[in-house]
Amino acid sequence: MAELTEFIWIMAKIVAILVPLILAVAYLTYAERRVIGAIQARNGPNRVGPMGLFQPFADVFKLLFKEVVIPSNANRFLFLIAPMLSLMPALAAWAVMPFSDGLVLSDINAGLLYILAMTSLGVYGVIIAGWASNSKYAMLGAMRSAAQIVSYEIAMGFALVGVLMAAGSMNLSGIVNAQAGPIWNWFWLPLLPLFVVYWISGVAETNRAPFDVAEGESEIVAGFHVEYSGTAFALFFLAEYANMILIAALAVIMFMGGWYSPFHGLPVLGPMFDWVPGIVWFVLKMTIFLYLYLAFRATFPRYRYDQIMRLGWKVLIPVTVVWLVVLALMILAGLGPWFN
Amino acid sequence: MIEQLIFYVFALVLLFSATMVITVRNPVHAALFLVLAFFNSAVLWVMAGAEFLGIVLVLVYVGAVMVLFLFVVMMLDLNLSQLREGFMKHFYIGVPFAVVMAVQMLLVVGSGLFAPETLPEARMPIPEDVGNTALLGSVLYTVYVYPFELAAVILLVAIIAAIMLTLRRREGTRHQDPGKQVRVRKADRLRVVNIPSARRQSEQE
Amino acid sequence: MLENYLPILLFIIVGLGVGVVLLAAGFILGPRKPSEEKLSPYECGFEAFEDSRMRFDVRYYLVAILFIIFDLEIAFLFPWAIVLDEIGLFGFASMGVFLAILLIGFLYEWKKGALEWE
Repeated sequence: MAELTEFIWIMAKIVAILVPLILAVAYLTYAERRVIGAIQARNGPNRVGPMGLFQPFADVFKLLFKEVVIPSNANRFLFLIAPMLSLMPALAAWAVMPFSDGLVLSDINAGLLYILAMTSLGVYGVIIAGWASNSKYAMLGAMRSAAQIVSYEIAMGFALVGVLMAAGSMNLSGIVNAQAGPIWNWFWLPLLPLFVVYWISGVAETNRAPFDVAEGESEIVAGFHVEYSGTAFALFFLAEYANMILIAALAVIMFMGGWYSPFHGLPVLGPMFDWVPGIVWFVLKMTIFLYLYLAFRATFPRYRYDQIMRLGWKVLIPVTVVWLVVLALMILAGLGPWFN
Repeated sequence: MIEQLIFYVFALVLLFSATMVITVRNPVHAALFLVLAFFNSAVLWVMAGAEFLGIVLVLVYVGAVMVLFLFVVMMLDLNLSQLREGFMKHFYIGVPFAVVMAVQMLLVVGSGLFAPETLPEARMPIPEDVGNTALLGSVLYTVYVYPFELAAVILLVAIIAAIMLTLRRREGTRHQDPGKQVRVRKADRLRVVNIPSARRQSEQE
Repeated sequence: MLENYLPILLFIIVGLGVGVVLLAAGFILGPRKPSEEKLSPYECGFEAFEDSRMRFDVRYYLVAILFIIFDLEIAFLFPWAIVLDEIGLFGFASMGVFLAILLIGFLYEWKKGALEWE
């Protein structure tokens, strides 16, 4: 019986993570349209419900009632499995995220390695979708998108290795606790190049602007998911935004102190803000990164594909490797408030 | 009890997908069944206590090697019936080889049953609280540094071999050199020319 | 230690379940009226010009192989990053040699142009 209650408790926690996550994904689409509209000096959606707040639900209902067209000669099973393969890693990585001190579903010791493995799996949905659609645009888009994702994963992996060196543990709560302190104690300062590289790689891996040439609407007509409609398309959409939120949350955990207040431990300002719960700081910092995602899309012109590959291989990888060596020397010398 | 159930489920799925890899017709399906087999192996390894290796199996094999396999299998239009043609011809050589390999594997894996005295004895006990990864790290770069550097050389050989075998230059392609583009000066691109204004000419007429 | 992994397994299963439920809901709620034009592959409004398989481009193969090599390098860097304090200067030097060997490989790729135009 004890096993049954434990099982129910785990399922309750899973639901408590998934429901806000899916709501967050839905409202991120709404926020994207409003923010990009504001940057372009126009209103976003503001008709459906007060201030347009029911827009995501309207979008979901529209997609639910559309026909799921499976093209002729497409491999039916693979065609339908691909969106699920895209969604599963995006959701599964959230199982090890700490939202606050002790507020984590599964506190495994190899948390960061697990997350890197899950992001590696994201490329399968893309490849299988492209191949199963039996369309050469989809196949070409899928190949290019997959090559892009795979190239930026290396830079992201090196940046994560840098975080590991600084924190000394793969446990995500351990990484956050290693940054305990005010804002200059967090890892963005000693690991600044790695922070920048991680952020750029994160934007490139989720195929977001300005690196969205493989699924840009004006070029290859949505690339690998050109043949998808209805809820199958909705699953890809969900996976992309869930990945965005995941990258933002990881940036907060690894570089921006997780749930710590920026005034933590300071003599005057510290106690003034101590009553704010950790999860509020976590969500606030995540919002900054999500805003960055949306602002990038509205601001920068799209990179050309060979420029994207050049950036990933010839710029980001050398920067990370050099900084890893510098960081190792910093750690061995016991430098500053971070490494003693 | 749950552990046993999970073990049997994943072991059965592993055996099933491994059989499917060698019997299914479509090569893409075979590659995907191999991915499934790797996943199940990773779960079994994590259950056996090798959490670092299990997750690295997913990261490297499923995340990288199978992506390579899928790239190749999907882009090559394999004619499967042609590949399968010579099966009966080589049957009589193939079966004895397969039997010998199976017997060898059984002898090695099952040596606990046949000859327990040949098993190497366990060395130092493994401390419980230190993680798997930290344990690996503490010996890999110090005690086993020579095999570690050999691994680096093998990777280097792989890089060189892959580039030598597959890199083909296309004739006549030009590509940009962003370094040169950024080093361009105004004097290289712009030349200010003094042209007499047109009005004076029309006044003279 | 092992019981920490059970919630992950359940989470993965629930994640797959969410995907299945959404997809099934789409199938149940959406209309099903296949027609010849809807089922043919998309080509900006025209009929498809040629066969749908693209020619094998070997650059994708090269990118994938280079990715495997660097992924393995990252896998070797993970345990080192954690135990850097314990193994001190000797560990740093051994990883330095490893990185130097792979740096030679990276320079070779760069000079040969394997990182170019894709």
